[in-house]
Amino acid sequence: MPGSVLLWTRVTPTPDALPGSGAGPDISVGWEVAADAGFKKIVARGTAATGAARDHTVKVVAGRLAPASSYWYRFTLGAAVSAVGRTRTAPAAGAPVDHLKFGVVSCANWQAGYFSSYRHLAARGDLDAVLHLGDYLYEYEPGGYQARDVVVRPHDPAVEMTRLEHYRRRHAQYKTDPDLQALHAAAPFIVTWDDHESANDAWKGGAENHTEGAEGAWRERFAAAHQAYAEWMPVRYEPGGQLYRRLDFGSLASLSMLDLRSYRDQQAANGADPAVGSPARTITGAAQMNWLLGNLKSTGPQWKLVGNPVMIAPVRVPSTLSTAELSGVQKLMGGTSISGVPYNVDQWDGYEADQHRVISHLRDNAVKDTVFLTGDIHSGWACDIPADPATYPFTGDSVAAELVCTSVTSDNLDDILNVPPRTVSVVVENAIKAANPHVKYLDFDSHGYSVLDITPAGVRMDWYVLAERTSAGSGSTLSTSFKVQANTGKVTKAQGGI
Amino acid sequence: MSSSTSNRPTPGRRQFLQLAAAGGTAVVLSAGQGTAWAAPATGRTRSYVLVVDGCRPDEITPVLTPRLAALRAAGTNFPAARSLPVMETIPNHVMMMTGVRPDRSGVPANAIFDRAEGVVRDLDRATDLRFPTLLERLGERGLTTGSVLSKKYLYGIFGTRASYRWEPRPLLPVTGHAPDVATMDALLAMVGGPDPDFVFTNLGDIDRVGHSDLTGTTLRVAREAALAGTDVQVGGFIDHLKSTGKWDSSVVMVLADHSMDWSLPSNVISIDLILQSRPELRSNVKIAQNGGADLLYWTGAEAGRAAGLAAVAQLVSAHEGVLSVNRPAELRLGAEAGDLVAYCRAGWRFSDPYLVSNPIPGNHGHPATEPIPFFISGGSPLVVKGSVSSEAARTADVAPTIGGIYGLKPPAGGYDGAARTSAFTR
Repeated sequence: MPGSVLLWTRVTPTPDALPGSGAGPDISVGWEVAADAGFKKIVARGTAATGAARDHTVKVVAGRLAPASSYWYRFTLGAAVSAVGRTRTAPAAGAPVDHLKFGVVSCANWQAGYFSSYRHLAARGDLDAVLHLGDYLYEYEPGGYQARDVVVRPHDPAVEMTRLEHYRRRHAQYKTDPDLQALHAAAPFIVTWDDHESANDAWKGGAENHTEGAEGAWRERFAAAHQAYAEWMPVRYEPGGQLYRRLDFGSLASLSMLDLRSYRDQQAANGADPAVGSPARTITGAAQMNWLLGNLKSTGPQWKLVGNPVMIAPVRVPSTLSTAELSGVQKLMGGTSISGVPYNVDQWDGYEADQHRVISHLRDNAVKDTVFLTGDIHSGWACDIPADPATYPFTGDSVAAELVCTSVTSDNLDDILNVPPRTVSVVVENAIKAANPHVKYLDFDSHGYSVLDITPAGVRMDWYVLAERTSAGSGSTLSTSFKVQANTGKVTKAQGGI
Repeated sequence: MSSSTSNRPTPGRRQFLQLAAAGGTAVVLSAGQGTAWAAPATGRTRSYVLVVDGCRPDEITPVLTPRLAALRAAGTNFPAARSLPVMETIPNHVMMMTGVRPDRSGVPANAIFDRAEGVVRDLDRATDLRFPTLLERLGERGLTTGSVLSKKYLYGIFGTRASYRWEPRPLLPVTGHAPDVATMDALLAMVGGPDPDFVFTNLGDIDRVGHSDLTGTTLRVAREAALAGTDVQVGGFIDHLKSTGKWDSSVVMVLADHSMDWSLPSNVISIDLILQSRPELRSNVKIAQNGGADLLYWTGAEAGRAAGLAAVAQLVSAHEGVLSVNRPAELRLGAEAGDLVAYCRAGWRFSDPYLVSNPIPGNHGHPATEPIPFFISGGSPLVVKGSVSSEAARTADVAPTIGGIYGLKPPAGGYDGAARTSAFTR
């Protein structure tokens, strides 16, 4: 926000006040915000209450700050003083902004490797914020989902999380990762959840791996996941509220962060299921859809960025893949292998009425400079979003762009097919791009992170890939860059600069 | 951001001047009473507004329109710029020159139903425009202005407001506009002759080809040829300014009045047809068709107005090609726009009062045609070079922006547009 920041920490006031324990006293935690890293210019301070009821997590909104400014913060409990974090306020509403830079990440599975991506982003020192597009943590038990067949680091607790205690302990475990701690300390996070914050392919009434009864009631499990998320994530969300929200960055950009798990109907059986096209089914819910359409049409900031947990660009299954390749794609996407139909019904493709509402709204109202920033799919994509898929090959008309970051650690196609990187996957990528000409870039194999630059002239995403996700000290290299120039709605290869 | 006014001798009667054009033909300019023909003194700022009629912002590219693209890159670009309702030629040119919305200027669309005359007609009379424009307001400050407008109806509504005017000719028989070659000849003659402080120019070729492109795909080559042709003309104008030593004192503002959207022959909406199922409504509604927008006027008894309009809005909204039905006040259109304004979706068009009334597939007037190119360039040291701004520029910003160069105060009641001062160094 332009005048305030959200500060977060977690304290252990007594040895028994362990995450998820429900034990420990109610206490007061001190906090300070300074205009300098040495805390010579303290601009705000106060105390915040916490206790076992919120798992001894602390969230503070520090206000009366200057817009577009960096601040440093720390917490105190008795004589103990926390590590120092850096944060940054957003530019004032309508203020001219020349440049923003965001880190963009998703899909960080503790069991599949180390969070080197977070370390590299933290080391940059030039980020206005980090966008986490979901799957910040995973629900699986050790052996349930890891790096191919190798559990690099086992989850705690050693069960699929289904209860509040599980969700709290799992959040706590992830927060012990030094790379994640470093990134939280380096820049403010802007987050939304996808499915694994609760359970795989979650929808409002259940999830793919939720067994009603044996694993309790979905309503209670979903609520537990949301409560732990509210407690353990630096986000202005409390249970019962709404996670979807809009943030503005002066005249340059708005950011609509979506919640595509709390209101959606159950996924269709596959891409050929008539339910895919049913106008009665929704991925957003009516209220969130109206809110999103209003944000897109508004006359506010130039760039309409959308924090979008699952892909919105239509993608059809090509007919040229082998059975094994199709099986791998199906496993990665959780979708179908039927040629010519949507390949992933967990994405917007599985909710065609809502997908059409957004695309036709963009087209009918000539909404320009919309960019969907997406996670979920463990692969890097740069796509046009065709105004009309049938005529796109001839006209190239695109209403928006979609830039998809890959996974921090979670398995992707070469892992699923158990083949070396950049071998079989390249064949699949080429087949998908041929069948979907609006897909301009696709990397099914790499793990890493993205960096997004936003200026009035354009938006550019750089994809950085890790050398080895299972190595704690993995290096990273720039893989490729694509840009969206203002007023075009199209992605093009970036050759340096926007 | 102000420049000194000029002071020069003026003749005492209305005059015509015939000047030789580049192609060997003659250009005839007219001047108002008391206007000098002699070029004014040096040391001033010249400003030119070039309207590339109907151009989409994504059509200006280094490959297709290299001169326009270079001009844009050299100045300050406003990629978030948009046209204003109704996205038609006449109202947006009026908004450019007045800086106010149609509810103040009296010009909401190209075509309206004139309740006094009982006919649907174009707003092409000088008396239709009831708000002072930049053209005469600058003149009142001792500056000289010119209008070089390729379309007859634009010449009509701006009339004799500029110090120097060119009446478009030759008019092409189908499109009713003068080709850009002729328009540019006139502009060059005006700049080379009386050399006004400010000239307002409309280049109509891109729009007119857009209207005749049958599919937006197979005949896109014609559109591209028009874009390339207009680009050459603009390039020739810039070259002229440079070769005559005027470039260093020039501000060149380029924008469109609206963009363009193409519809298939099957995607036609006829409100006349929609209302035929309710003859008691149809007989009480007049329709002024404006491409992607229809203006609807209740002509029945006052007692039935509210219920009748509600029924009309409901019937029209139910059509798959209709995007929205709006009250004119919501769009700041004023009484001349009638009682309801219907917008079509992208890829559709209205055709009223009859299904065959609008055969052209390239249309504007609806929200799909709002985005426009809008940039401020030129050799003047006033211009910020190589900049891009997120500001939401609008067609109504032209008058306050150009007026600001000359220190012109806002009109009574103020502007509705905003001066785009970020494009200027001071």
